[in-house]
Amino acid sequence: MDLSGHVAIVTGGATGIGRAIGMKMAEVGADIIVSDIDSDACQRTASEFAALGVRSAGIPANVTDPDAVGRMVAESIGQFGKIDVLVNNAGVAGAPGWYDHAVSREEDWSFTFGVNVKGMAIVTEAVLPHMKEAHAGKIVNLASVAGRQGRPTLPHYSATKAAVINYTQSLANELGRDNINVNAVCPGLLWTPMWGEVGAKYAVNDPTYEGLSAREVFDKMIENIIPLGREQTPEDIGDAIVFLVSDDAKNITGQSLNVDGGAFLN
Amino acid sequence: MKLPELDGRTAVITGAGSGIGRGIALVFAERGAEVVVADIDPAAAESVADEVRALGGTAHAVQADVTERESTDGLLTASLEACGRIDILVNNAGVGGAPGWWERSSPTPEDWEATYDVNVIGIVNVTSSFQDHLQERRAGRVINIASAAGRRGAGGFAHYSASKAAAINVSQGFALQLAGHNVNVNCICPGLLWTPLWEKIAERDLIKSGETAQTGRQVFDERLERSTPLGREQTPEDVGKLAAFLASDRAKNVTGQSINLNGGSYVN
Repeated sequence: MDLSGHVAIVTGGATGIGRAIGMKMAEVGADIIVSDIDSDACQRTASEFAALGVRSAGIPANVTDPDAVGRMVAESIGQFGKIDVLVNNAGVAGAPGWYDHAVSREEDWSFTFGVNVKGMAIVTEAVLPHMKEAHAGKIVNLASVAGRQGRPTLPHYSATKAAVINYTQSLANELGRDNINVNAVCPGLLWTPMWGEVGAKYAVNDPTYEGLSAREVFDKMIENIIPLGREQTPEDIGDAIVFLVSDDAKNITGQSLNVDGGAFLN
Repeated sequence: MKLPELDGRTAVITGAGSGIGRGIALVFAERGAEVVVADIDPAAAESVADEVRALGGTAHAVQADVTERESTDGLLTASLEACGRIDILVNNAGVGGAPGWWERSSPTPEDWEATYDVNVIGIVNVTSSFQDHLQERRAGRVINIASAAGRRGAGGFAHYSASKAAAINVSQGFALQLAGHNVNVNCICPGLLWTPLWEKIAERDLIKSGETAQTGRQVFDERLERSTPLGREQTPEDVGKLAAFLASDRAKNVTGQSINLNGGSYVN
């Protein structure tokens, strides 16, 4: 696996899963553009990657703002000359404070759709002209095991992740003849800041998990739904993405790969 | 910078004497694995083992018939004698029907039986033979080769499609059964590859249509053009590379999945 000479943008790339994806790609030589809504965090993570000996820059953008995204992509091409890989990782679980509400509110639906689906499309559309012209490109979208099957507690989030899987399929079909591969990864259970919120929500709304701490909910859920019996990690997701954007996967497109310890069998 | 991702691993690959199985054996060997090349045809197995050795790898040729449990138990014994332990099992052996299937315009009961025996029971036999060994070590990867045909029914080739759909389902069953033992089971669904199997499919299409002006390769290329967004064929090496990923540490939390390797012809 060797990505040296490849330039990759990772949205939501400053922390959590996005940071691990960038790290895994940097470890095999890719230059990384860390894009994130948090400008300081972008710079910090980019410095970490640069310390590995690759080129890296933090270029902030809010994925729901087409103008900001356009500037981010233009600046990326300006600094790095090209974009080989786009990882659409930026995502949210709901509008701020979503986990305090028993039922999804209108703003939870609009906020998750705005970031997880429309935001993904905005970044993709901004990068595509460049990839089409190069007649090459790799796009990986972050979906979720929640997008494979609806579940209670966060229907607004699950629906957006199902949309991501579907969007991945449409794009792959459309872009095949441009030699652009589009795939998705569906992470299972990862102990990230988002899961801290999800766990809190379950503890309040689901009798099975009543009164437990978020981490206890998480551990119980692993026991209940993960056949391999262990949590997945941001590094697992990075490993899968390094494979998908490498030459080893040049004939894989349109697929959504579950990295979930067997929770959902596809 | 190439990861020696399978360094020190041992792998058994069934049906490795030709086509996709051969491709997997060569990629695995290139990435550091010691391979057992199993095939029903001992000469074919030996020839691929020689190819691996010529590349500087270590290979053992073993004759095995996956439809006979006695034979797959023998494969386990021979593999352990040769390698000491087995880390990776690739169930690749498969057929398109009973001998001569490509000369028949519709499948006979024998074709249904042959595809089920090899493509489904074959996986069950080999996996069952190796299961105790993998479980005891609390480590191991099983990779089954199904087909894009198993994702969607195929007109005129229903017996093969059905067997491959069953192979996908069997992979899920074994994944759940073995997950508690830290053994991951996944499946690959290859699309269009110009292998001995597809040469026969094309031959059969030509016989059925009475077409004489076309070659088999043209039949294949037309199908590719019609069905594959990426517009290019897949190769045994592609399958080997995906299998190498699934066999590596990088996929330690991937199990129960059937991954389509088809240039986008079917997506899920």
